[in-house]
Amino acid sequence: MEIQELNALSPLRAFDQSLNGGLGKGNLGVLVSRHGIGKTACLVHLSTDKLFRNEHVIHVSFSGNVEHVINWYKEVFRQISDGRSLSDAATVYNSLLSNRVVMNFSQENVSVDKVLSSLETLIRQGSFEADAVMFDGYKLTVASEDDVRKIKQFALDMRLEVWFSVSPVRPDVIFDENGVPSTIMKYKELIDVLIGLKYNESMDKVIMTLVKNHDILDPLPMRVSLDPKTMLITN
Amino acid sequence: MSELRYMRNIGISAHIDSGKTTLSERILYYCNRIHQIHEVRGKDGVGATMDSMELERERGITIASAATHVTWKDYDINVIDTPGHVDFTIEVERSLRVLDGAIMVLCSVAGVQSQSITVDRQMKRYRVPRIAFVNKCDRTGANPYRVKQQLVDKLGLNAVLVQIPIGLEDRLQGVVDLVTMKALYFDGPNGDVIRIESIPPELQSEAETKREELLDAVSLISDDLMEAMLDENVTEELLRAAIRKGTISLQLVPVMMGSAYKNKGIQALLDGVVNYLPDPTEVTNTALDLNNDEKPVILTSHPDMPAVILGFKLEDGQYGQLTYIRIYQGKLKKGDELINIRTKKKFKVGRLVRMHASSMEDITEAGCGDIAALFGIDCASGDTFCHPSLNYSMTSMYVPKPVISLAILPADKKSADNMGKALNRFVKEDPTFNTYVDPESNQTIIQGMGELHLDVYVERMRREYKADVTTGRPEVAYREAISQRADFNYTHKKQTGGSGQYARVAGYIEPIEESEEVKEYEFVDMIKGGTIPNEFIPSCDKGFQTAIKKGTQLGFPVVGVRCAINDGAYHPVDSSDQAFQTAALGAFREAYEKAKPIVLEPIMKVSVAGPTEFQGNIFGSINQRRGVIISSTEDGNGCVVEAEVPLSEMFGYSTVLRSLTQGKAEFTMELSKYGKVPISIGEELKKEYQEKRKKEQGR
Repeated sequence: MEIQELNALSPLRAFDQSLNGGLGKGNLGVLVSRHGIGKTACLVHLSTDKLFRNEHVIHVSFSGNVEHVINWYKEVFRQISDGRSLSDAATVYNSLLSNRVVMNFSQENVSVDKVLSSLETLIRQGSFEADAVMFDGYKLTVASEDDVRKIKQFALDMRLEVWFSVSPVRPDVIFDENGVPSTIMKYKELIDVLIGLKYNESMDKVIMTLVKNHDILDPLPMRVSLDPKTMLITN
Repeated sequence: MSELRYMRNIGISAHIDSGKTTLSERILYYCNRIHQIHEVRGKDGVGATMDSMELERERGITIASAATHVTWKDYDINVIDTPGHVDFTIEVERSLRVLDGAIMVLCSVAGVQSQSITVDRQMKRYRVPRIAFVNKCDRTGANPYRVKQQLVDKLGLNAVLVQIPIGLEDRLQGVVDLVTMKALYFDGPNGDVIRIESIPPELQSEAETKREELLDAVSLISDDLMEAMLDENVTEELLRAAIRKGTISLQLVPVMMGSAYKNKGIQALLDGVVNYLPDPTEVTNTALDLNNDEKPVILTSHPDMPAVILGFKLEDGQYGQLTYIRIYQGKLKKGDELINIRTKKKFKVGRLVRMHASSMEDITEAGCGDIAALFGIDCASGDTFCHPSLNYSMTSMYVPKPVISLAILPADKKSADNMGKALNRFVKEDPTFNTYVDPESNQTIIQGMGELHLDVYVERMRREYKADVTTGRPEVAYREAISQRADFNYTHKKQTGGSGQYARVAGYIEPIEESEEVKEYEFVDMIKGGTIPNEFIPSCDKGFQTAIKKGTQLGFPVVGVRCAINDGAYHPVDSSDQAFQTAALGAFREAYEKAKPIVLEPIMKVSVAGPTEFQGNIFGSINQRRGVIISSTEDGNGCVVEAEVPLSEMFGYSTVLRSLTQGKAEFTMELSKYGKVPISIGEELKKEYQEKRKKEQGR
């Protein structure tokens, strides 16, 4: 299969459709759930889909282990390309790599200003024209409102789509029926798209619920869900 | 001869500048081999004892691995000091081969660096048990706990602390041993006096927590320890034995710490070497039996067995050629007869010595497992010597191919002679270093693993061999390849007078698909009905192999190509081996042009580390060099940028980087893969090559 066909058949098209065409540049999107549901995989799948469509992505991680992130991409790519028997997969993978940079901050409590300044350095001095930034494991639930506002402004200034995968930091957090913790709701105004992930045992699927879709605040189940085995978004 | 139980062969390897030469120096000092401590770039002008080459002193790096014998308590320890710079990786690999265990030195501030990852990979390849030593704990920002965590996260090692520091940075006083639960202080001007006390009260709870962690980790490996823990009867001996078992079986890496420069923790590290690293009998070594289809045989570390010895390092000293050897089986006495398996030449062991960096002592006998040196043996590095009754070869070592070449030109006749001598020596010493005379330009070309690698040899030629040479522009070792299938049907005919030549070959060439393992060449015989007689099939294979040695675009080897023949014709009288070789060569050239040939270039994995304020400059410099930034990692101390950059763009990068970052950033690089050259650059290269050829033909 060629890339164009693969892209057209991707379950991410249905994902975008649910969002009325996608998140859109200058906007913030959040994937949220309890630990261990598969947000990172989901985020990497979103990112890989962008790479497949020739967009440039910066993946920001806070784990201290770049290899780990790179292996996630390898695995997600392998599953997509094997599943669709992509032609000339090795060459395609190499060309995707040049459109992705992993930016890793291993210091404790790095400030938002520092992260944004490094991103700007990469985009401007590294001449990396990013289309999207993926924040993997950002502690959004304990960030200040001011921090989120800065990221939003940055997304607007740089014309970026910004996605977060968020797990709550505090153990006593309460989750609603869509898997969304109460602590995130204070940023509802600043977030453009909020998606809650929750494992449904009887269906053996991770259900994705669109809690906020740009101006619509009426929770709606998405047409896609997460396969708990492959951790990929599926129709 | 001492018992094998009391012997250790260890190496010290690490990232450049993490202080391993200083550490080796201290080890020599405490083992009473030297009477005075010299710093690496010391003010006393003497330089560290282990760096025996003049050049190393000047550059402050360690190039060749010097083997040194020391005694600690009742133990004989052979220490191999290994180079840290990635351009000299073959040296690291060669020394890892002969080691039974290693100390992996890490900087307490910088932690696991790019080179540590390379070294780790090498140690894993040769299955070398190791101790991690977190050095420079006296430096600002020192954090051994973080380094230990990085060993777990970044290298996937089961690292456990067996010590914790008492104070850090400028308040570093000593360490707490978690096995004995005692505090160790190192007193006196050179830390010679060890003072053992009880743990300071403020560290008591920390020490207990870390000991629990240690016990938990080790008990997973040792059932004896698990039982003892349940009975609450863990003795020092039991715990030590369990850590030793885990380390030797590569399931555990004990983490020790201190500061070589400030003389803290070195004696404890030596105890660690003795306690946790294996003796020669605890490591399995195999050789290949050449009389039995290279079947692997396990060598026995017993002195009464016939001798099997590996020459792992040559050195050209003031007394002639010195060959460092490791005895894997049997023992070696002066006057013993050995055979060099490669050359099949027999020789008698003359002078046998034990080395201490640049001085030596004569010995009459070296035992099993020992590392020693021989004088005046004609051999290459990596040769196996055996008792004449055996025909074993130690497994061949992995040797990477050179990526860069340089033309060198001697100034006069005398320099030419000296240069020849030097090259002859270097090629023997270093399998990654190559030399040949280019038949077209008649220039001497040297090849190696990087700019610095070749620089060092050119410098050595000038200094040690007094050869006055000038060098050309460094050239990249390109590769050629094809991008699509192309058919051929080629007839080679020469039937005018004398014995004629006739051969026809038909078939196709196609690229071998990219996969994990890159195949350079494949030959497929699909001839049916004897259109080419069986006896001439190998001739076709040979002809293709000649053709791919030199592609027609740039004159570099063609890789990743499958040559298939499916038809042909022959003449009962005029066909010959030579005729079919020539036909295959012509057929390849015919098809090659149609197969859309491309040029490949070496792409280096480059890792640049420096302060965060220069991150922009680093990004910019990579971007200007057609580089692809893979990742950037920031911690509190600085940033590390990993990128893939074509080698051809990396010439002179060290100078550029220095000026961009006020000398505060450093970089390492190693070959990552071969990648396609952009069309515009490929065209330019082709043009240059054509012009060069025209010029040479015109001469």
